[in-house]
This record gives sequence, C-alpha cells and structure tokens, in this order.
Amino acid sequence: MSNQNGSVYGLTFLCPILNDAAASPSHDLQIRNYLSKLDTGAGSPFAIAPGTHLARLAVMDDVIYVGSPAIEEHLQSKYLVFETNCDSDLEPYLRGLVGAVTSHIDAIWQHCTGYPGCADFSRLLAYMKACQITTSFFFAAVNNKTVPQTLVALQTQQAVAQFIASHQGMEPVQLQREFLDFIQWLRSQPPPAPGVGGPLRAIQTGGHNE
Amino acid sequence: MSKLNATDIQGFVLRGYNMPCARYCFLHFPDAKSARHLLAELLPSITTGQLWDHKPQSTVNIAFTFKGLAALELPIATLISFPVEFQQGMKARANILGDIGKNAPEHWDEVWREGHVHAWLAIHALTPAALDARHAELAALVAASGVRLLAAQDAASLVVDGQLTTKEHFGYTDGFGNPDYLGVCRSTQPGQGKLLPDGKTWAPLATGELLLGYADEAGELPVAPVPHILAANGTFMVYRKLHENVGTFRNFLNTWAARYGDASDFAKEKLASKFIGRWRDGTPIESSPDAPNQDIVKDPNRNTDFTYGADTGGSRCPVGAHIRRVNPRDAFGFGGRLVNRRRVTRRGLPYGPYTPEPPDPHAQLSESDIAALDAVDRGVVFMVLNACISRQFEFVQQQWISYGNDAHLGNDKDLLLGTHQHGERFSIQGDATPANPPLFCTALPNFVELRGGEYFFLPSITALAMIARELVDPR
Repeated sequence: MSNQNGSVYGLTFLCPILNDAAASPSHDLQIRNYLSKLDTGAGSPFAIAPGTHLARLAVMDDVIYVGSPAIEEHLQSKYLVFETNCDSDLEPYLRGLVGAVTSHIDAIWQHCTGYPGCADFSRLLAYMKACQITTSFFFAAVNNKTVPQTLVALQTQQAVAQFIASHQGMEPVQLQREFLDFIQWLRSQPPPAPGVGGPLRAIQTGGHNE
Repeated sequence: MSKLNATDIQGFVLRGYNMPCARYCFLHFPDAKSARHLLAELLPSITTGQLWDHKPQSTVNIAFTFKGLAALELPIATLISFPVEFQQGMKARANILGDIGKNAPEHWDEVWREGHVHAWLAIHALTPAALDARHAELAALVAASGVRLLAAQDAASLVVDGQLTTKEHFGYTDGFGNPDYLGVCRSTQPGQGKLLPDGKTWAPLATGELLLGYADEAGELPVAPVPHILAANGTFMVYRKLHENVGTFRNFLNTWAARYGDASDFAKEKLASKFIGRWRDGTPIESSPDAPNQDIVKDPNRNTDFTYGADTGGSRCPVGAHIRRVNPRDAFGFGGRLVNRRRVTRRGLPYGPYTPEPPDPHAQLSESDIAALDAVDRGVVFMVLNACISRQFEFVQQQWISYGNDAHLGNDKDLLLGTHQHGERFSIQGDATPANPPLFCTALPNFVELRGGEYFFLPSITALAMIARELVDPR
C-alpha cells in the first residue's frame, strides 16, 4: 500500500516528453510555458476536478552532474513529473480529471511520448499506468478525510470558533437557543470550494538552508 | 567534542552577564582605516567567555552589520560568502518576519530607519556609575578614531517595590531557560537542551546551533563566511527594540479578567499566566497550573523542566501560550526532535521607566490613561544569538509567532508579539472545572511594537584581530 497513507493516495507519474528536433519551441518548453500560466487558485484544474488534496507538475530535464568523483549520467528523455495526493486510486481519480478538465490534460500531455488523448479512457488509463511509479513514501497533511470532508471541517471550525467568541458567557437558555439556530444555519451552508482558502499570507523564505 | 576555547569567544555569546545596566552604542564607520584603528584600540577591552574569578564592574562586546563589514573593506569574496539574510539585513526581511503595519520599518526609530549602523558596541555593568565610567573610556576612543557614534540605547533591570527584578514592563518575570550547548561551560538545568528519546532526560544541543565552525543538530556546519577562521567561534545576533504598550496590555487584561472565572484578583493573575505560559512570578503553568509557586521558580532543577506531551489539549498551558509557541518542546510529537534546529539563545534587558501597577487590580483605565501609558518610551531590548538566522530566529518568528498552523491554531498569532489583524483570537483551552474555564479573547490589539533593529555578526577574538589588522584572506 505504498501509494496510500490512511485514506489518501499519493500517486506519482513520470511521463517521457517528446524529443522532436523539429519542434520549436521544444516540447518541454511548451509544457513549462503552459504550466507557468496555470491558475493556482479556484481556477486551477485540480480545484475544478474532484478529489485533489495537493498536486505538483514539473518538468525534469536531466540529472545534474555535480563534478568528480560523481559519475556523469543522463536521462534518456526529459520527463513530465506529476505527483498528486488525492482521494482515490488512479482509475476513479483520472476519470474525475478527464470529466472536468479534459482540455488542460490534453494541452499538457500532448507533448508526451505515447499520449493517447482523453477521448479513449481505457487507452488513457493504460498509458498512465505505464508511466506510474510507486510513490513509496509521502506526507499527507490530512490522511483520514476526503477533500470535501476537510473543507467542511475547516468551515465548521471557523464558524464554531466565531460562535464561541461572540457567545461566551451568555445566559444558558439563550445560548442553547442561539446554538440550535447556529447549527441549523451551519448545516444549510454549502461546502466551501477547493482552492480558495483563507486570507492570503505572504509566505516567504530565503535562507541557504530552506 | 573538544572543550571550547572560551578565551576566543566573546563572553556575551557564552553567558548572560546578569548585570542590571547596559548601554548599546551604534557606530558608523566613515572609512575602513579609522574603523580598523578603533577596533585595534578596543581589542584589549573585549570581554571573552573566560570564567571569572571576580565579576568585573563592566563588560564590552562588539558586533557588525553587513554594511559595517563592507565599510571595513573585508575582501569581496568574504563578503559574498555571508548568509543571504545577513547580507540583506533585518529591514529587507520585514515581510518574512511579519514586521508590517505599525511594526514596519517606516515607523522605526530614526537610527534604524536610516540604516547607517555599522557596529553594535555593548557595555554591561553592575552599577550606573560603572556603566558611565566605561562608556566615557570607550567614547573617548571612538571620538579619537573618527568613528561616529550614531545613537546609544540604555537598558536596565526594572526596580519593582524597591527590588531589582528580572521582570519586564507587563509584569512577567523573564529570562528563564536558554539552551545548553555541547562544550559550553555553564550550570545546566533540566529542560534547557534537547529532549532525549526517553521523553524525560535533557542533553545539550550541538555546538553548531550557537557557534559557527561546529557541527549542528543535523551534523552539518552552519552556513558561514570564508575563511573558516573568520567564522569559527563567532555567531549571528538579531537585535530588536520592542516597545511595550503598557496601557493597552493592562486594559486588555482587566477587560478579559472581568469575564474570566470568578473575575477575582486571582483569576486575573491566572488569565495573565495563560497568555505567556508562566505565572507573572515565573512559575511555569505546565508544572503548577493552579497557583504560582516560588519553590519551583527558585529551583533550577524544576523551573524549566517540563513537557507538553501530557497536555496536548492545552488545558494546563494553552497551545498558543507564548513560551509554548516559541519552544514547543515535545508538543509537536516525534519526541521533540522537530524543535532542536529551531532553538535560539536570548539576551535582553528592559528599557524605559517602570510604572507600578495601580493598588486596585481592577481599576479601569480611561482612554487617556491608556494612551499616556502606551506613549512612554519603554519596552525590551531583545537580542537573539544563533548560528543561522533564517533557520532559527526567522523560522520561529515567521512560523510560530506570526502563524499558528504547526500548533493547529490556523492563522492566529502569538498574543503579545503578533501583529494582529481582524478576526484573530487567543484561545485558552481550559477544562470543565470552574477554576480553569475556557476563554476566547478577541479584538486583539497590538501589545508590542518593533521600533527597529538589525542583524549582526559577532566574531571571535581571533576574527576581531584579523579584521583590525586587515588579515582576512578568503583564499
């Protein structure tokens, strides 16, 4: 179960990128260009499609030669690296992506060797299985809740904390009445959308060791 | 691990001098020659870490900003080998540190706003007379060298009820529990190093968490300038002048104490203890949640010896209490190993006049009383010593003081040090007993305001001499 931590899956794919001397710009640069413009908030394909806790797409050019005594080695291809922490194993997760963000999938993976397109799901599944490697070890910030459950839990925590802050010390009968109203209101709230989050924080690092 | 050469390390690094008076002089070097001349003159006066037979009347230490080292014309290959955060200086790191709003550099004291400080020349003394005498000697050397004295910051232990104390202006007893480091000769206390796998025993941290040139807790050498001999036995210092809004604090405590427990005098003190994690007399609430206990405060084997593993819910010590945030010990699991590379050594003294608490602990303050108390120029000169400013001080400031995620507190910040925004709160978890009720404090004001500061390099005695004699050679 090395692709699984609790109820969360950690899936990893290495998809070889087309090596076409005639392509200009090269396919890896075209992927980089597309990825650099992807929305990372509510418009992210991983926020639109269901079930993603965290996803990372990166272009791996080569292994870096660090000088003697290391041996100089090279990859046979450039790779698109796709890592995702998600709510289900490959088949249902991929079905969710294809159902929601086909154009993004095609736009990114069309630059990969052997990519069959989203139109034929069984061929796409076979392709992704062929590119999948065992994750072996990964960190899941939340490993026992689905994405919707996590979002509802955060919404509940925020709302309950605000309720307590504004009602602490209230006379018990009134408190109970207002609490029952509050719970009813909370249950009627739609689950928050993924990729929205709380207030923006300027997270910055910058030391040598970070 | 060989014994450290205490005669090569500035004394300020190895020990808190426990002297009640201090003056921090900030110097500007007009040119390298006069700066080197002054440094050569100062060298015999610099206090080392050598143990004392008799405590001196005063001590002298020196440290440099990156601009100061550049003004000293250290070789460019040496200058660019310093860590990025030190080269940038504290002002440029404001966003990382959460120094925004009233804490932003544009509100700092003039000497820090202008950014011309090249060196920190520190005098600690047993008496005001000894402080002035030593200052007169040094000021004469500075004047003769042509180096400019930009400003001086006095600091002194507070006298409360006629007694010299280790309290700060909010009334908390301060200065417990700096870490132990391998090779540093001092009386060690349980609770001051790192927690061993048995969950009870404490051992010194690796020397490289404090001093450059030695292995740190990861077995690596901290990032340090070249040549090695310039860095070894030196460290980095963070200097922060923290203004304390005494009126705002007293009013906030009074306001929430009226809603806490039975609203008695004792409940007010208990609430104050929940903010910090210690009763104002210094008793750790994790060890003694129900009452202050001077027996614990005075016992070095007990006043820093506690863990949070049996109090994960924070019913004794709130999860967001100050001392639990900045040194979570075992609170994040993994036997406490997550904190061993985030420890810092703290030095500091209060500055400004102390205003005694009013005789009636529940006397309400008027708006003008609050403003008048806040306006007094007072607070704490807070200094941090660490081998890596970005990994140690900046991490604690950013992740544990200005953010709450590691402690499962969302965006909530440290109550007293955080720059608060609308919607933040301070949660006291408490339990179901009437004497220890839960409470959410909201509408948080800013209790502490940064008035300036900088990052400094505190070199070894050898390195000081190399700088003075223009012998720094990075090859």
